[in-house]
Amino acid sequence: MDEKRNELKKIIMDTRTLPTLPGVIHKLNSLTENDKASVQEMARIVSSDQVLSARILRLANSPSYGFYRVSTISNAMILLGVNVVKSLALSSSIFEIMEKNSVGLWEHSLAVGVAANLIARKLNLPECEEISTAALLHDIGKVIISLKCSEAEQLIRDMIRDRGMYMRDAERETIDTDHAEVGGWLAKSWFLPDKLSEPISFHHDVALSGNHRIKTAVVHIADVLIKACGFGDSGDCYVPQIQQIAWDVLKFNEQAMAEIIDELEDKLVEVKNFSLELQGSDAPAY
Amino acid sequence: MPRPTRISCVSSDAHLASHLQLRLQSKDFQVAIIPSIEGILGVFYSDPPDLLIVDLHSDPDASINLVTTLRSDSFFSTIPIIGLIAQGACNTMEWDRCPLDDFITLPLRFDELFSRISLALSRIKRIFDNNPLTRLPGNTSIQKAIEEAMATDVSVCYVDIDHFKPYNDVFGFSHGDEVIRMLARIMFNTVRDSGGGFCGHIGGDDFVFILPSARAEGVSQTIIGFFDRIVLDLFDEDTKARGYYEGTNRKGEAEQIPLLSLSIAVVPLHSPGIRHAAKVAEIAAELKKLAKESVGSRCVIDQRTAS
Repeated sequence: MDEKRNELKKIIMDTRTLPTLPGVIHKLNSLTENDKASVQEMARIVSSDQVLSARILRLANSPSYGFYRVSTISNAMILLGVNVVKSLALSSSIFEIMEKNSVGLWEHSLAVGVAANLIARKLNLPECEEISTAALLHDIGKVIISLKCSEAEQLIRDMIRDRGMYMRDAERETIDTDHAEVGGWLAKSWFLPDKLSEPISFHHDVALSGNHRIKTAVVHIADVLIKACGFGDSGDCYVPQIQQIAWDVLKFNEQAMAEIIDELEDKLVEVKNFSLELQGSDAPAY
Repeated sequence: MPRPTRISCVSSDAHLASHLQLRLQSKDFQVAIIPSIEGILGVFYSDPPDLLIVDLHSDPDASINLVTTLRSDSFFSTIPIIGLIAQGACNTMEWDRCPLDDFITLPLRFDELFSRISLALSRIKRIFDNNPLTRLPGNTSIQKAIEEAMATDVSVCYVDIDHFKPYNDVFGFSHGDEVIRMLARIMFNTVRDSGGGFCGHIGGDDFVFILPSARAEGVSQTIIGFFDRIVLDLFDEDTKARGYYEGTNRKGEAEQIPLLSLSIAVVPLHSPGIRHAAKVAEIAAELKKLAKESVGSRCVIDQRTAS
């Protein structure tokens, strides 16, 4: 079993890029002008796509630029420059085989990012943008698993369907690791700072986080919330319980939660519209 | 008339050397032939040429030794060296041991040699002056850019970081270098995205950018905004909330050191009283003093009008 883990780990160390959705790249390609509006639109697209965001943060934190702690897309854009970000985004590959669940995962990730931002602002936490970035990236391990272990992935999906398992447990049984750990490996190998890699690694196990427990707790709660809303597709449709430690560390209560859920509904309509716009569908939202 | 480019050729092949000399002179190069390798370093050190051609074919060991020795002194690292090697020898050359800028194979094709010489000289001009940390052009290029801009409707903007020295002392050079690189990128990107201009690195935490006066203030404010935001990533939550950290000042006393901020002094070149480039730096120094009097980042513009 250790073999599988090490093999996967090695594959991740050699992974320099990941594909994203065709609609995202198509939309980016249509922004040819270099005016202010298209730069803002580019920033909006890039910061809503987990793969593009991760690739841009990787470049900003790579030894060739010599910055070590870039953890938000807006800071990465300031340091890399519009031209660099644009050419990097346009050089992205797309999923060759488009599956319905790629879009579902894309929507789930963006929605968790939005929810995390709401929670962070509500609680007046520092570094809200870092928290939403970590939340956007929290399931990046799932992209890698579906790309690099496509056979295992099929098996995982069958197990979820037939045995009603959480995706994470099915992953553990099949590949002896899970998307959180895999995402953490990628974050480390892509030079992402701890404030991003920790929430990615421990969003299912808040107690294991160290220096960034608050950020991890927010990502955990946002993840559960979005699953409970039935928004997007994170791989399984089961809603886990919010871990007690997450409530405690944030001094979060049901009152605040109710307010957030209220605000979240409007935001999710926006996310859905943005997703439909990018997927090039003209079907009405909701 | 500009000074002719001086080329030294080192070869123990007298026939090749005299032929080289003749052809190079026909292209208006000033050529010195140095037949013997011995004593050559003294000749170079006392009167360095603009470019060096070394015949690696007739005396390989001594020539490689010469190249390595010259390269080991950073002062001479900016002189391009072109090696002459036998046809096919490039496959067996250990380039790590022989730090040439370029090579050309024997028998010589002179048109190719001339092109390689021009290319080597322009390449060195391009990279010689650049700051190794930020890769921005340095003082020679800055001086030239200011002189070229004199009496036009552009502004020279001097940028430096407030409280940089204590930051370096407390957090170490590698973090200090990171701040310098960040500022360089912020400045370069902002100037380019605003429509272009010149950016240079004077040294340490001192930078310059030059652009049309109409954009000077806006770009300065954008750079300040970006820097103030990025810089927060360098401090932990407690320091950010407090707004200072503990360090020692120049006298060695414990002191509360504020977070990093920027001062920018903008000198429009069409101001009266600016007749030569040296005056620009002088005015900038006065403005900087003004900028530093206030807490936090600030941009000060030279307001002198015709009087």
